[in-house]
Amino acid sequence: MTERLTDIGPPHYEKFLPPVVKENYGKWKYHEILKPGVMVHVSESGAKLFTVRMASPRLLATDTIRWIADLAEKYCGGYLRWTSRNNVEFLLTDESNIDPLIGEIKKNGFIIGGMGNSISNIVHTQGWVHCHSSATDASGIVKAVMDDLSQHFENMDLPGKLRIALACCLNMCGAVHCSDIAILGTHQRPPRIEHDTLDKFCEIPNVVSACPTAAIRPATVDGKPSVEVLEENCMYCGNCYTVCPSMPLNNAETDGISIWVGGKVSDARSIPKFSKLAIPFIPNNPPRWPEVVEAVHNIVDVWAKNAKKYERMGDWIERIGWPEFFRLTGIEFTKYHIDDFKHAGLSFKRTAQMRHLPEE
Amino acid sequence: MAASIEDVANAMFEIVKDGAGSKKYKPSDLTKMMVEKLETDKKTCKAAIKELVNSGRLVYTYFGGSFLEIPHKEGAAPD
Amino acid sequence: MADEKATPLLDELEKGPYPSFVREIKLAAKNNKMAAGVLHQLEKSYRDKIGYWKHGGIVGVMGYGGGVIGRYSALPDDFPEVAHFHTLRVNQPAGWFYTADVLRKICDMWDKHGSGLTNMHGSTGDMVLLGTRTEELESVFGELTKMGFDLGGSGSDVRTPSCCVGPARCEWACFDTLKTCYEITQHYQDELHRPAFPYKYKFKFAGCANDCVAAIARSDMSFIGTWKDDIQQDDEEIKNYAKAGLDIQSDVVENCPGKCMTWDPDNMKLTIDNSYCLKCMHCINVLPKALRPGKQRGVTILLGAKAPIVEGALLSSVLIPFYDIDNEGLDDLFELVEDGIWDVWTENGKNRERVGEFIQRVGMGNFLESIGLEPDPHMISHPRDNPYIFFDQEDEEEEA
Repeated sequence: MTERLTDIGPPHYEKFLPPVVKENYGKWKYHEILKPGVMVHVSESGAKLFTVRMASPRLLATDTIRWIADLAEKYCGGYLRWTSRNNVEFLLTDESNIDPLIGEIKKNGFIIGGMGNSISNIVHTQGWVHCHSSATDASGIVKAVMDDLSQHFENMDLPGKLRIALACCLNMCGAVHCSDIAILGTHQRPPRIEHDTLDKFCEIPNVVSACPTAAIRPATVDGKPSVEVLEENCMYCGNCYTVCPSMPLNNAETDGISIWVGGKVSDARSIPKFSKLAIPFIPNNPPRWPEVVEAVHNIVDVWAKNAKKYERMGDWIERIGWPEFFRLTGIEFTKYHIDDFKHAGLSFKRTAQMRHLPEE
Repeated sequence: MAASIEDVANAMFEIVKDGAGSKKYKPSDLTKMMVEKLETDKKTCKAAIKELVNSGRLVYTYFGGSFLEIPHKEGAAPD
Repeated sequence: MADEKATPLLDELEKGPYPSFVREIKLAAKNNKMAAGVLHQLEKSYRDKIGYWKHGGIVGVMGYGGGVIGRYSALPDDFPEVAHFHTLRVNQPAGWFYTADVLRKICDMWDKHGSGLTNMHGSTGDMVLLGTRTEELESVFGELTKMGFDLGGSGSDVRTPSCCVGPARCEWACFDTLKTCYEITQHYQDELHRPAFPYKYKFKFAGCANDCVAAIARSDMSFIGTWKDDIQQDDEEIKNYAKAGLDIQSDVVENCPGKCMTWDPDNMKLTIDNSYCLKCMHCINVLPKALRPGKQRGVTILLGAKAPIVEGALLSSVLIPFYDIDNEGLDDLFELVEDGIWDVWTENGKNRERVGEFIQRVGMGNFLESIGLEPDPHMISHPRDNPYIFFDQEDEEEEA
């Protein structure tokens, strides 16, 4: 029997770097986008590395990965990488291979793009494919929204970069909270308490302390130790469910989506910022969530029409002001848009500086 | 005399066993208790936990945070 | 009677121009019963508008407390193929580089032992092998380690570190993100596999302030490349951009947050007052042939980002304004992390309290003191504006 290996860590990345990368590591001088989805990096030595970026649904079958591997072997000496937004990047040294590669990619129903002033892939979570606490599916909405926006993936026709992310509940495995547009699975009802099993499965002090709003209290129900939820204090975060499986809050009738706008992570021009609430709730409507697709489409369109060159969603909204954002997009402003969690007052308007909207 | 890794492991195991079903312990809880109770340090505690897990006497479990528990029947929730 | 194998709702998601995940699941389902089970349970979710998975917190590989996410169908009688559907997080190579060869080996292994479905990649950066049975976990782990791969993190441990493409293919990388990521991952194998913290601890490495890995939003400890000296400037290339029609004044100068640039259109001369440059990257992004980061490069290290759970979302904030990481190495950092940050946080943090939340609770000033760092005005956007100051009582008495 061979020895059981542990704690070896990931393989060293150098094993997987193409020769052109090894030779020019740290010596890249500049890059240019040659056309949508294709760029070249030029080294101080004059060496060139061409990158073809292909969209991926993130959820991939092994057969598709084998197909990707075959393409890399045929056109790229067997080398490729994935990006932080789940796109595939083929790494070529022979420029004449670019178009044949793209031809094969398109023939198999995949598309290229996601560079420059475009939308890149939507980073997203597991949803109904694999998650226990999801308020919605992830892959299905991403597919429907990207079908609708794919022209902005395949062309660089937007004012600036557009980064959309989706998380299927506010655990945010996808950390969508700093995206131009965040699509967020949202619960609207407090957890159901399964008193029969709670004491057996969950440690009550742990459950009580899991609640950010102190809405959970120990209680005795039918002679058994359990907990009660002060429902008016519950904002359906699901933190209790994560520590205690006897408090599920998934609900087919009332789960859905909220939409957030104007976040970013890069420091370019303006500092990183959180996404802010645009639409508090849209019910789940599988398989294609047309209301979500339309809402995102509308926001993208209004931004694309009104923003200056390079202006990200959040920078544009800061320039025109939130009242104008709601007017231009036609999105209704409600009491839910006004923060009432910790430090809420910081988001109130504390100045009389203001642009008044034109009379209707 | 300083407690050996084995002494610390045994003491930790007793605490987890006594708490089973009512109180769950994180590695840091056990370490803090040992440092207070026995003549030992964090490094020894870490080795003791590794020993307990490698030998199968305790397992890591996860429900919104990682804990050390006596192995029990698998499932979405302990039966 | 309805065809139990029909998936009319999911079929709708095979249509349209964007690559379809349904096509992927169906592809795997041809030869794999687990993938077929996922397909049919998912169709039911689409019909009922609700998920059918339960979390299970006990499965793993021997000796590790992370890397496996236990998952069970809530409807095991209807979908017995996915009664168990555990995920393995496999630590990706830094920068997500692969060869065709190694990918095929992983695929062969996963067809044999799992669902044939993957996520390339998970949100934290791991290669995600989606769905297998408890009894397969040790075999998968054994085969992975034989191929030179290991599991990533989950639970209250160091989560799999990740980095941008860095100097491997980017002229803007201000430090070696791949090397740093690899070395830190190897150094913290124990902390990655054996959860010992109050909650998760993520590292992310971005080569410049464009932050392609969202380090500032998504990692407890964020490394962002920067520089101290002047932007490297090629005046001839600037002229070329201007001649080609780029409006340097409106596209570059007016977007500069440091307001440190002027453009002389008559002489086609861009002047940068580098002492006011904020290293935001905008001008370099727009003029990649003409402008480059300076030569005195390093990182800004920030602490505390997280998603909303439990006490609200946070962005990382500055801990070390500048560190020449490629030349000064990692030893001092390891000491700060292990004997400073982790020690204080593990000793005093509550269950599920991220380090950012911990700092909010105890106060940044106290936290800095406890880890032995001096306060620095680079760490704040402005000094406090409330007068509720907790003065150290000993100091008062000494002065009296």
